[in-house]
Amino acid sequence: MFEYLPELNEHNLPYPDTIHPIVVHFVIAMVLFAVLCDAIGYFTKNTRLYEVSWWNMSFATVSIFIAIIFGQIEAGLADPYPAAVGDLNLHTLIGWSLSGIIAAITGWRYIIRTRTPQHLPLAYLGLDGLLTAIVLFQIYLGDKLVWVYGLHSEPVVEALRGGAL
Amino acid sequence: MMDSLISVAPLLFADAGANNLPYRIPIHPNLVHLTLGLFIVAIAFDIVGALFPLEKPVFKFLAIPAVRSNLFDVGWYNMVAAAIITFFTVAAGFYEMLTAYIPKSATSSWGLGAMDTAIWHGLGGVLILALIVAMTVWRGFQRYLWRQDRAMQVQWSYLLAGLGIFALMFAQGTLGAHLGGEFGLHVTADQMLRLGSDPNTL
Repeated sequence: MFEYLPELNEHNLPYPDTIHPIVVHFVIAMVLFAVLCDAIGYFTKNTRLYEVSWWNMSFATVSIFIAIIFGQIEAGLADPYPAAVGDLNLHTLIGWSLSGIIAAITGWRYIIRTRTPQHLPLAYLGLDGLLTAIVLFQIYLGDKLVWVYGLHSEPVVEALRGGAL
Repeated sequence: MMDSLISVAPLLFADAGANNLPYRIPIHPNLVHLTLGLFIVAIAFDIVGALFPLEKPVFKFLAIPAVRSNLFDVGWYNMVAAAIITFFTVAAGFYEMLTAYIPKSATSSWGLGAMDTAIWHGLGGVLILALIVAMTVWRGFQRYLWRQDRAMQVQWSYLLAGLGIFALMFAQGTLGAHLGGEFGLHVTADQMLRLGSDPNTL
């Protein structure tokens, strides 16, 4: 069965480079910018920024599911060595959870936007803060997987294949 | 272990870790998320705004109320944010390039050595920063002067320029990915392997 699968390259991937870290641009940047727009909009009463925030959150909601698909493929091919396993599992757990959290927040935003587009409840801003904290922690975990453990980096893949890790 | 690592790390800073940085996680790749995400979404929403007449039935079907000028607002504000943040992206990139261990022998999958890759990536960074700032200024002129009263806030040439910059960003991003993922710059585990220690002892 396995002979039908594409061959894996020196990153242990069937395509040139990791895709998950690229797709997460559109979750990280859009969520953080949406929260910033909400905050600036709230304090300056520039409600035009609420629309900018809403569209950015919508974009993030679509993106996170694509990010999870590639994240799951690349996690499956990462072959994490013992030191990396815990952080990879936690990153996976929080990643899936974030899809629900972001979709739910965007859903609430849709309702707010329909009913009171000029007014943002304080509780929503509180959720913005919580979401930012979770996203920042998730970025930190993903950063560790790439920049500390070097998963999918050539030297680590080489060491794993050579049995040195 | 630290003593032996310090001796190979550049002397630009004190107390470098195994990743040749005085902190655990490189900053530049994180700011890159913001630069690329904001720029690409800015152009994408301007394109959505430009094609708005075609999309009206789609928004209606999805029951998502959409106002054309609001889509262009995303194009503008995201671009301004991209321009601001990218100064920091480039600054962090240059600092981390100066502190990186650059291997001499290896070549990337694009056939470039580590030093060449780093130099092209550095030049590309400055070029893209200049282009993002120029695009922001151009976008501002369209929004507040030339097309203030037009329903179609952006010129097609601006959108086309944006797509061209996407292509540059792809090349730039791949060079950056080679620096981290192939040459192992600032990757703690790769640097440890190079020096013969086990990343499991992290």
